[in-house]
Amino acid sequence: MLEDKLLILKFNRGNREALRSIYEKYKDDLVTLSAALLTDVSSAEDVVHDVFVSFIESSRKFRLTGSLKGYLAACVANNARNRNKAGRRHGSIALDETGPAAVDSNSPEFHAIFGEELHRLSWALSQLPYEQREVLLLHSYSGMKFRAIAQQQNVSINTVQGRYRYATDKLRSMLDGEVEK
Amino acid sequence: MRPAENINNLIKKLQLKASTDLDRRVHDDISMALAESDKTKSARAEPNIRRTIMKSPIVKLAAAAVIIVLVVLGLFEFIGTKNTSGVVWADVVRKLQASRGLIVRCRDLSPSSGDDYSIAYTSPTYCRKDFYKDGQIIRTSYVDLTGSDIFTLLDVFHMRKHSLTTTYKKSDYGLFLELDEDWTNPSFLVEKILSCEHSKLGQKTIEGVLCEGIETTDPASMGPTPEQIDLLDVLLRLWVNVETGYPVLFESKTSAKYDGEVWEYENVMDQFQWDVELDPGIFEPNIPSDYERLTWPEVKEL
Repeated sequence: MLEDKLLILKFNRGNREALRSIYEKYKDDLVTLSAALLTDVSSAEDVVHDVFVSFIESSRKFRLTGSLKGYLAACVANNARNRNKAGRRHGSIALDETGPAAVDSNSPEFHAIFGEELHRLSWALSQLPYEQREVLLLHSYSGMKFRAIAQQQNVSINTVQGRYRYATDKLRSMLDGEVEK
Repeated sequence: MRPAENINNLIKKLQLKASTDLDRRVHDDISMALAESDKTKSARAEPNIRRTIMKSPIVKLAAAAVIIVLVVLGLFEFIGTKNTSGVVWADVVRKLQASRGLIVRCRDLSPSSGDDYSIAYTSPTYCRKDFYKDGQIIRTSYVDLTGSDIFTLLDVFHMRKHSLTTTYKKSDYGLFLELDEDWTNPSFLVEKILSCEHSKLGQKTIEGVLCEGIETTDPASMGPTPEQIDLLDVLLRLWVNVETGYPVLFESKTSAKYDGEVWEYENVMDQFQWDVELDPGIFEPNIPSDYERLTWPEVKEL
């Protein structure tokens, strides 16, 4: 947190290395989050790239009010959601906003995203409705608080907590026995 | 079935690596965007001479040395540095300027620090810093200051197995250490303290060595700060060996209120070895053959 504040101070002052340090520090987590949301590594990296392009453009005016990691995670989630909606409009990715993700979650490529060890989890995540998956990942993976997620998604905190509860219940049922390993 | 925490733990195991293609795209964008920003900035701003002076670490004094000495001597005349306690602070400045090489241990005591400590090797024309974590070197930084108006920073990230070379223009960015390593350069910090309002701490023995100290709490020692910092508390404290006139311990603590939150930063430097003749070979970058080598665009013309 302290390091992030310092990075942002330097970032505001146009320090190149601060930008690079921010990217180096969070890139893997952001790519992971994005890939888990979109279940596609290539699109996931495009999302992270887009987020950093916007972040760079905000250089001197950016003000950090919470956690930098949370901020970047929210940016990734917003961008991934927009990409998801755009894909749905163009019919290239048949993800339904409220229904389960209609990717081919049995494909070897999809399983290869997170490796064999976690393929059950990645498969189960892909079966969740997109918005539940987003809440679950932002909270459990990126460490965002429910209140911050509610603000980011422009919904009530009760809705966010409900999505989280539904998501964990479904994952539990799908991974019955798996999480005990 | 275990409780939800187990699902959280499982989710936290998800981990992908960003590809080198993404690395290139983002770093290229950073370089291009900031080069544009530099052009705009240079078109509207005259160089701030005071800031340039404040940025200058003694290891790279060269042109700035004369000005700094004048500034320091001017301050001494104002505050009066004649003392009978042993340390003549103007002599400290001169000794640091004359030091052929320096080895020092640097510790970032912040909880978020990514390393346990680093060892810096500094000569008038090169700097190398090894960052240690759990007894292993996780990163090595090399700085080449021999260019007349450019300097090159090479970072070798051992955990990620890649290196990153960046070239800077001194006239644009000032000298290297103000940018990222300013608070771990003792020479620079001596300047900082002496050029601000400071007080004498008297004498005490540190690890068997009689020392004399000075400190400053003047926020001006931090240089220009962004407008959004509401409160800034600074403590820079230096202890010098009375017999040799060389620094033996430097401590810095910074506390700032920023957007309603307080953040703190703390550094300690010790185990100084002054006026060391360093083997030039240690400044030769050593990049293992299996490391990815990344280079960022050359210095942009202003």
